[in-house]
Amino acid sequence: MNITPSDKDDLPPVAELCAVSKTFNTAGGHELKVLENINLAVHDGEFLALLGQSGSGKSTLLRCLTGLVAPSAGRALSGGKTCHGVNPEASIVFQTFALYPWLTVEQNVAVGLMARNVTWAARDAAVDRAIELIGLGNYHTAYPRELSGGMRQRVGIARALVAQPKLLCLDEAFSALDVLTGENLRQELLTLWRSPESGLSSIFMVTHNIEEAVEMATRIVVLFPRPGRIGLVLDNPLPYPRDSRDPEFQRLVSVIHESITTMALPDLPQDIPLSGQPVSRGRSRMESIPLVPVGQILGLMSILRDSPELSNIYDISDEIGKEFGETIAIVKAAEILDFIDTPQQDVRFTELGRRFVDADRLARREIFKAQVLKLRLFQIIIATLEETEEVEADQVIQDIASALPYDNPEKTFQTMVAWGRYAGLMDFNANTRTVFVPEGDTGEYVPM
Amino acid sequence: MKSTAPRLVIHEERPGFGWIDGLVILALLGLFWSALHFGKGMLVNFDPATQQPLSRSPLEIPYYAGRTLMRMWIAFGFSLSFAVSTGYLAAKNTKARAFILPALDILQSVPVLGFLSATVAGFMALFPGSLLGVECAAIFAIFTGQVWNIAFGFYHSMVTVPNDMQEAASIYGLTRWQRFMTVELPASAHSLIWNSMMAFGGGWFFVAQSEAISVMNKDIKLPGLGSYMAQALERGDNSAAVWAIVAMILLILISDQLVWRPLLAWADKFKVELTESSSPPTSWIYNLFRGVYIFTWLHDRIGRWVERLLRRRKRNWKRRPLKSRRLGTWLWRGVGTGLGLWLGLQVLAAALDAAHALQSALTFKLIGHIAWLGALTLLRVVSMLTLATLIWTPIGVWIGFEPRVARFAQPLAQIGASFPVNMTFPIVVSFFVANRISMNWGSILLIAMGTQWYILFNVIAGAMAIPNDLKEAALVYGLRNWNLWRTLILPGIFPFWVTGACTAAGGAWNASIVAELATWGETTLKADGLGAYIAAVTRTGDSPLIVASIGVMSFFVIVMNKFIWRPLYGFADRRFRLD
Repeated sequence: MNITPSDKDDLPPVAELCAVSKTFNTAGGHELKVLENINLAVHDGEFLALLGQSGSGKSTLLRCLTGLVAPSAGRALSGGKTCHGVNPEASIVFQTFALYPWLTVEQNVAVGLMARNVTWAARDAAVDRAIELIGLGNYHTAYPRELSGGMRQRVGIARALVAQPKLLCLDEAFSALDVLTGENLRQELLTLWRSPESGLSSIFMVTHNIEEAVEMATRIVVLFPRPGRIGLVLDNPLPYPRDSRDPEFQRLVSVIHESITTMALPDLPQDIPLSGQPVSRGRSRMESIPLVPVGQILGLMSILRDSPELSNIYDISDEIGKEFGETIAIVKAAEILDFIDTPQQDVRFTELGRRFVDADRLARREIFKAQVLKLRLFQIIIATLEETEEVEADQVIQDIASALPYDNPEKTFQTMVAWGRYAGLMDFNANTRTVFVPEGDTGEYVPM
Repeated sequence: MKSTAPRLVIHEERPGFGWIDGLVILALLGLFWSALHFGKGMLVNFDPATQQPLSRSPLEIPYYAGRTLMRMWIAFGFSLSFAVSTGYLAAKNTKARAFILPALDILQSVPVLGFLSATVAGFMALFPGSLLGVECAAIFAIFTGQVWNIAFGFYHSMVTVPNDMQEAASIYGLTRWQRFMTVELPASAHSLIWNSMMAFGGGWFFVAQSEAISVMNKDIKLPGLGSYMAQALERGDNSAAVWAIVAMILLILISDQLVWRPLLAWADKFKVELTESSSPPTSWIYNLFRGVYIFTWLHDRIGRWVERLLRRRKRNWKRRPLKSRRLGTWLWRGVGTGLGLWLGLQVLAAALDAAHALQSALTFKLIGHIAWLGALTLLRVVSMLTLATLIWTPIGVWIGFEPRVARFAQPLAQIGASFPVNMTFPIVVSFFVANRISMNWGSILLIAMGTQWYILFNVIAGAMAIPNDLKEAALVYGLRNWNLWRTLILPGIFPFWVTGACTAAGGAWNASIVAELATWGETTLKADGLGAYIAAVTRTGDSPLIVASIGVMSFFVIVMNKFIWRPLYGFADRRFRLD
């Protein structure tokens, strides 16, 4: 399905976003900018993958592209024309399948044709064809409840294909499936896309799985978070079927890894001797904290101590069985506490980090407390707490929202309280919704 | 690519019509005939002065029961359509929601029984000389007794339809009607049927009360089971009362077995979760009728025909130029605004009139007296709740922990809740008279007769919902007696108890209108309380006093909802939710 550049110029893109920005209100009523100035086009015959960490705005981008969500600024185009409301040429395969449990497989697939004016016979034929195409031949009258996850997602795909959309969107379509089922379904979808009789031409896939993107897509776009913006655009001309052991495949994966890593963990411009320096990188600006539980930071430290051979981020990611984006967040949390240093892709203990991981529980807490107190976010609230002993949570959240406009203030607050509790700096009463300084020694607090 | 996997579900498809289809056709015809037969009785001429007393023969009971049932179903039909349309409107339109939700909240707090006489007079004026007016008033009373719960339940399930299901409907371009039929209505079906069953059960109380009422010192009796009972009460006719009670129980049981159980069993497939439920509700009648061919036949013939018709209409609709459609919308909007304004003005004028009448009739002393009576009734409601909680919580928990007992005890408690309290009077009042029990205390028992069941079956449901691993953990750590109750059972059942107690309290206010003033033959027992007061002023037809006393009662209910039940719901949700 490769298309020469000249073809691309002739046809308008199947779907396109022009200078799109999107702002949401969080549950607490704060404005949160999720997407900023996105320019992205899906061309005919293209398999475009959109990569990004969780919370980077991938799903929102997909919803803007398909017209489910109206952008706050900019335009969504379909076939070169501005699209008002839902794009009739697009369909979506959902991560959660979004099947209707009260409809049989057949009826669920037929939903994809409900809006079309087709005769009964044509409808039944199209439904049958979609069901056969996706390998659900004997399941016509089964209910989704009776099917396994993989089979359910096949129904989702059949429903998306039945109306022969110009653009098929996959919203993390394989991430709710187990590894084997997911791989199987990926291969089948690729086969479908490459065979002309399926009628499938353009696919837009949202995923956080880098290997999945490199395995399937002809073009890969990496979305950088807070606020979501286009980071890296890569063409992937590798021939199908692709082999993940192929050096070119590996190279692409590591290019993407690198771009995500340097985005999340930028190397400092000059080499300041970091270790042992009490107040490192004098942080005057408010810095956002990764939304990571304390227990995961401690776990990362222990793994680094026990397996010194794990020196780069993707090996760690493999070892701890977390997706790359999540691993980055944990590494970043350990880094802003100065426990580790990350020159390029590598992860190294700082002297402080080594001291921390070898210390006993109380000493660990003291070190953690000292490090946390260097963060601007904590300095501000601790200063307030010294004056008033008690602060309203909403006040704190308000402060976070104005200082860190691209972070979800409620979630940042929760993480801050969790870190502060471990450090013995602050506690939070969920009934009165106030933050206060705990009295006496709370050394027994165990992080989760 | 053809799958070689074996066919998962083997549907026993019937080749054609069988004996069961014959049965269904007969039943449908029977239903049709009954509707005509009982409906005919609703349209006869009627004059309150010359009305015939009801027959005392038990042989007439089936006819009366049919009339009562007919009223129940007509009222339920109206309730359902009203509830679904208001719930839908509230869920879809933010402007409408801002008005509908508070309105529903207040309306459900108003004790409708007090308004019965006013509505009877109104409907009789609407259909002069026909029984239809009184019928409408009775149906209206049942309607107002059951509609609010269904409406709230439907609104709630509409707004909790999973977002991805709605998004899928949007991306596939479903029209509003298609979305409603394929997504929203099925997703709400389970809660809609459950709430309908509860509301229908509550309706028996209102039907029994509204069939025999006194308006402006005139007794009006609609032919029905409730009025048959009322007549037996007036005359102190023991055997007639027993017959009526038996017929009532049978009616409730039959409705439960033939309608609600099968519907519940059927609705199990509309649960939103994709997991199979561990113990789905069963119903013999549902199993019997499952594969009935006639429904498939009807669906294939009529369903497709209707859909084709709709499709054709849609095509025409699309062809119409945009401009005229817009004009049409404006026209409709104009008509709607005009109607709304007119209605608003009417209501305002009526309210001003009422306020004027009230102002001249009421003194502070009178209001104080009514409030004092309200406080007495409040005391009764609270003691009923306390007593019922103390008695039924241990029993309910025991039942809930024994799945085999719970399987039949829970439906029994629901039936108990359905049984109209005024039908228990002959037994209870003669007991009070024999033992010289003051009605001031006895009425607590009478109120409890109708409302304690809500606490019981909610506690049972709560005990059944406590996860097994939590019970096992309690066992492993040797929690016993008070410790077990304090750490596991009470927190586990608390949210359910709040639901039950709130429903029971709401029902208790309504029940007090009936229960504080009981008649059995020559004996009339009266308690001091707002309920008895409302019953008395309704009988004499003193409108300012009716409005004032009902206003006070509504005030008590609203205050209780706002300051007790709402915070308790919030607390239960924050602290004791089990997920």
